Amino acid sequence: MNNESVIKSRFEENGKVFETGAPVTGAVSIENAVAVGFGDGSIRFFWPDNDPLEVQAHSGAILSIASSNDGVITGGQDGRFLKISTNAEVEEIYNFGTRWVDNVAAYESMVLCSSGKNVYIWSDENDKPKILEHQSTIGGIAIDQNGRRIAVSCYGGVTLWRLEKNKWKSSKFAWKGSHGKVGFSPDGKYLVTTMQENELHAWRIRDKASFAMSGYPSKVKSFTWAGDNPYLVTAGAKEAICWPFDGKEGPKGRKPLCIASGGQQNATFVESLPGEKAVFAGFRNGMVLLSELSEHPNDVLIQNPTGSEVSNISISPDRSHILVGDSKGQILWSPLWEQ
Amino acid sequence: MENSSSQVPVTVLTGFLGAGKTTLLNRILTEQHGRRYAVIVNEFGEQGIDNDLVVDADEEVFEMNNGCICCTVRGDLIRILGGLMKRADQLDAIIVETTGLADPAPVAQTFFVDQDVADRTKLDAIVTVADAVHLSTQLGEHHEAEEQIAFADVVLLNKIDLVDQSQITGVKDRIRKINPYTKIIETNRCAAPLEEILGLNAFSLDRVLEVEPDFLDSDHDHEHDDDVTSVSFVSDTPLDLEKFEKWFGNLLQTHGQNILRSKGILDFKNEKDRYVFQGVHMLMDASPMGPWPEKSIRNSRVVFIGRKLETMNLKEGFESCKSD
Repeated sequence: MNNESVIKSRFEENGKVFETGAPVTGAVSIENAVAVGFGDGSIRFFWPDNDPLEVQAHSGAILSIASSNDGVITGGQDGRFLKISTNAEVEEIYNFGTRWVDNVAAYESMVLCSSGKNVYIWSDENDKPKILEHQSTIGGIAIDQNGRRIAVSCYGGVTLWRLEKNKWKSSKFAWKGSHGKVGFSPDGKYLVTTMQENELHAWRIRDKASFAMSGYPSKVKSFTWAGDNPYLVTAGAKEAICWPFDGKEGPKGRKPLCIASGGQQNATFVESLPGEKAVFAGFRNGMVLLSELSEHPNDVLIQNPTGSEVSNISISPDRSHILVGDSKGQILWSPLWEQ
Repeated sequence: MENSSSQVPVTVLTGFLGAGKTTLLNRILTEQHGRRYAVIVNEFGEQGIDNDLVVDADEEVFEMNNGCICCTVRGDLIRILGGLMKRADQLDAIIVETTGLADPAPVAQTFFVDQDVADRTKLDAIVTVADAVHLSTQLGEHHEAEEQIAFADVVLLNKIDLVDQSQITGVKDRIRKINPYTKIIETNRCAAPLEEILGLNAFSLDRVLEVEPDFLDSDHDHEHDDDVTSVSFVSDTPLDLEKFEKWFGNLLQTHGQNILRSKGILDFKNEKDRYVFQGVHMLMDASPMGPWPEKSIRNSRVVFIGRKLETMNLKEGFESCKSD
């Protein structure tokens, strides 16, 4: 969509655009870089001051990426679970053969991944992984803020694993249907999942009280937390839908805030701006907006439509840069603030 | 919706264990030089598939929307097809091998129900490999065998060197009774021309226009209650759109579970376009397909494949849709 009449945003004017040719499948912050995983199995590190560094890691797409305390961990369609340092050293943690490594997560020196119905956990003392079994293929995994609990979503709900006296004990949060991505609220009190249906599901962990957040015109592929409230910010609609999670009951019976309303198409990725009451929303046509968490938000255009779905938005650890990646492999890497 | 050229075709291979699915798969993979395939195999599958992109899957059948029958889908397919679409290399096709006892309906329904799957891939055809020696027995003993024939766009009647001509005729009659519009290819060691197996576009609505089964009203005399059969009807009198929608919608709602597949071309009164539909259980694709070609006979034709069709008053229902 190189329409010359399009007015470039400040971010497009000041930033660099990279055409990588491979879909952006995920990104994560590490040290002072943003590490991006691609559909051709490569990883690229983007730094505020240096040129990006490309590392060929997997054959086939990278399915999941997370940062551990000494490198990025990735799971791929080649069945490999890898750790990649910011100076391009690649270490194979495990090889699952023809089974995909669908999800990865890390907390300090503990790394874990899922392949098929199992979660595999490596802690520093042990070379052999601890295996947590589930009834169906795992949709998502998340570790809480203290590294003491692991949430695993699959068909039928979430299994919450707690580390007690060096043993992982499970408790089930059931809800009919297929659950994908899972996350803890920042205060660790709620679990949230995206569902195969066009909705999200949440549980209050204390009493397992659960509720659905529905009404979306498409699948919710992305969510994040923003503001002090906090708000659960979600993709899947023409606006970023933000559910308030303050108070005893969270969003139960309350209306969400709808922000970033300038998109013509459904949002496919959302990310918060750390330290600010603001949210980035990327849309199916490639447009990206920055919007305020308020009843009457101002929207700022970050990226004009590119024609391809926004598949990632990441902020560099020093908050100096924004990275926008899409499903065709275009990357916008731009200073976030006026210089 | 994306345009169809950007959708990767998906061929589904069904058939009982030992019928020859792996043989067919390996033929496809070795004979199609220079084309790039992903093969999704199941955990019980035979080993030895010769391809660099083989994905292991568990056949996970999911109920969506609180267990609505028509929303039973293959969750693993949604995940794997989504994952394959993240690859940088363009795939020419995807082949899904199912276990011998798989019901093809959730596979087909996945392509109707999941928007992401429908945007990026399209169901090309369901190809069923049948063992000419054992099919007749299997049909009597397993619902799944009947379903695999009922859903098949192509039946590869394999191992015909092991049976005589009268047995072949017998088993073909049996197949035709279940599914009069499937294409039957007789083979040994699955040696069929690949263009008759791949790239068929059998689920596209244009292909419904080519459907010319024997439009016979099946007789139900000798059938067991649970047998899969088919019926078809023709009307030279144009149909009334409103009456048809009401009857058909109600029919799928009440009997969709027993109607495995339905297809039809419809001539509505005062409409210049042909209407075409095809359905799997309660899910249906329907669309006007442009004006009737000159010199063609304008009439309405419908086919149903399913169980207990005789309890649905299909003939009366269809007749009642005729315009006054």
